[in-house]
Amino acid sequence: MMAITQIRKTSRKYHKWLMTLLALQFVVWSVTGTYMVFFDIHYIHGDTLVNNRQDKIDPQQLTYPLHNVLQRYPKAKDISLGLYLEQVVYRFSLGPDNIMLDARTGQRIAALSRQQAAVAAKFYYAGNGEVASIELLTEHAPFELNPKALPAWRVNFTDLGDPAIYVSAETGLLVAKRHNFWRLFDWMFRFHVMDHNDGKDIDNLLLFLCSVLGLISTMFGLVLLYFSLSRPKRALRAKP
Amino acid sequence: MKWARKIHKWASLIVSLQFLIWLGTGLYFNLMDHHKAAGYTYKAEHSPAPAWHELSLLEPADVLAQHEASATLTLISLANKPYYLLNHQRGLYAHFANLYSLIDATNGQAITVDAEFARVLAQTSYSGPGAVASTTLMQPPIADFLKQQNPLWQVNFADEINTSVYIEAQSGRLVGHSDEHKRLADFFLKLHFMDYANTGSFNNVLMMFFAIAALGLCGSGLIWTIVLARRGFVRRSPG
Repeated sequence: MMAITQIRKTSRKYHKWLMTLLALQFVVWSVTGTYMVFFDIHYIHGDTLVNNRQDKIDPQQLTYPLHNVLQRYPKAKDISLGLYLEQVVYRFSLGPDNIMLDARTGQRIAALSRQQAAVAAKFYYAGNGEVASIELLTEHAPFELNPKALPAWRVNFTDLGDPAIYVSAETGLLVAKRHNFWRLFDWMFRFHVMDHNDGKDIDNLLLFLCSVLGLISTMFGLVLLYFSLSRPKRALRAKP
Repeated sequence: MKWARKIHKWASLIVSLQFLIWLGTGLYFNLMDHHKAAGYTYKAEHSPAPAWHELSLLEPADVLAQHEASATLTLISLANKPYYLLNHQRGLYAHFANLYSLIDATNGQAITVDAEFARVLAQTSYSGPGAVASTTLMQPPIADFLKQQNPLWQVNFADEINTSVYIEAQSGRLVGHSDEHKRLADFFLKLHFMDYANTGSFNNVLMMFFAIAALGLCGSGLIWTIVLARRGFVRRSPG
C-alpha cells in the first residue's frame, strides 16, 4: 500500500515539474498540429490558386527547328517546348541562365517586363481579385520562394489570404503560389519541430530534449491517469 | 480549475497513448538518418545529360503533328538514349494524374515502358550489390509511394534492405527508391499522422478528433500549471 502511494506521489511530482518546464511546448505542439491537420494540404499548397490550364501546342506554329537551336546553343540542357501565354516557345537552361526562344522565329524572348509579369500571373491565377502590387526579385528570395526560381516576379493579388503568384522572369513559367494559409502553416511547422529558423533541421537538440522529457512526463501522466480512474472504486470500498 | 482538471482527465484518457506515439515517433524523426529514411542508401548519382547537339534528333514539329495534342514536349534521356516526352493532360505536379506519350527521339517510335525497360532504368539508378529479383506493374495507391497517382513499375532488388526502385510506367521517370529504412520511417509517419487508412495524408477525421482532444489536454494542463504556479507550488494539491 505504501509503495503504491509512493508511486503516485512520485509520478505527480515529476509530471508536475516536467510539465511546468514543457507546458508551453505541449500547447505549441497541439495548436500547430491541429492547424496542420485541419487545413487540407492541397489547399495549403495553393493548388486552388491556379487554374492549371491545358492549352496545347499547335505544331503549325513550330517553324524554327530544334536542329538550329542546338547548333546555336550546343550546351543547352533541360530542353522543352511549351507555351508562354499563347505563344509556342523553346525553353532550356544554359549554365546558370534560362533561355526562352520564340518557336516560330527562333528569336530570343527577353526577360519579362513588369507589365508582362502581371499578364502572365493573371493567366495562371484562378481567383477573381485584382493585382495589388508587383515586385521583381533578383538576389534574395523571400522564405516562401526557392532561391533557384530567381529571378522572378512576385505578383500579389487582392484576395483572401493575400495570394502571391511567382512568375519566372526568364521563362514566364509559374514557379510558386503562396497565400497566408501556407505562410502560417510554414510558421506552425517550424514551431512544431522546434526549428525556429527555417524548419529544415528536424534533428535539433531542443526538439530532442523536449521529446525525451515529454515522453517521460507523459508516462508519469499515464500512471496518474490509472490512479485517477481506479480511485472511485477504492473510495467506495473504503467506506464503512 | 475544477473543469480544467476534468477536461485533463478525460482528454488524457482518449489521447494519452497516442501522445506516447506522437512523442516516440517524433523522437525517431529527430534522431533518424534522413538520407537513409529517404530511401537514398543505394541511389546512384545522376548520369550527366548527353550532348544533344551531337545526336540526330527528329524535329519536334513532326513528332507533335503525329500524336494527340500536347501541352509540353520535353527532351529527356533514358538509359543514355534520347526520347521526347509528350504531356497531353497535365497534372499540377508530376505525382498527380498525368497523361504522357514517350517517343524515341531518333526514329519517332512510340515506346511503352515494359518490364524489361523498367529493369534497365531501375538498374541505372541503383548502386547496391543486389540483382533484380522481380518486376511488377503497380496501380495506385502504392504502399511505398502513396502520393503517386500514376501507375508505377516496382523493380525489386535482392539486397539486405530489400530495395525497390519505382519507375513511372508512362514516362520512364524515376519516382524514387524505397527500402527497409524508408519503410520504417514511413511506418512511423503513418503512426504520427494516425493515417491508419493508408491515405498518405494527415487530413483525416480520426486525426482531427485526436487533435482536438490533444488541444483540450494541453490547454487544461497549461491552465493547471498556471494555477499551481500562482499558488507558488506551496499548497499541495489534494488527492
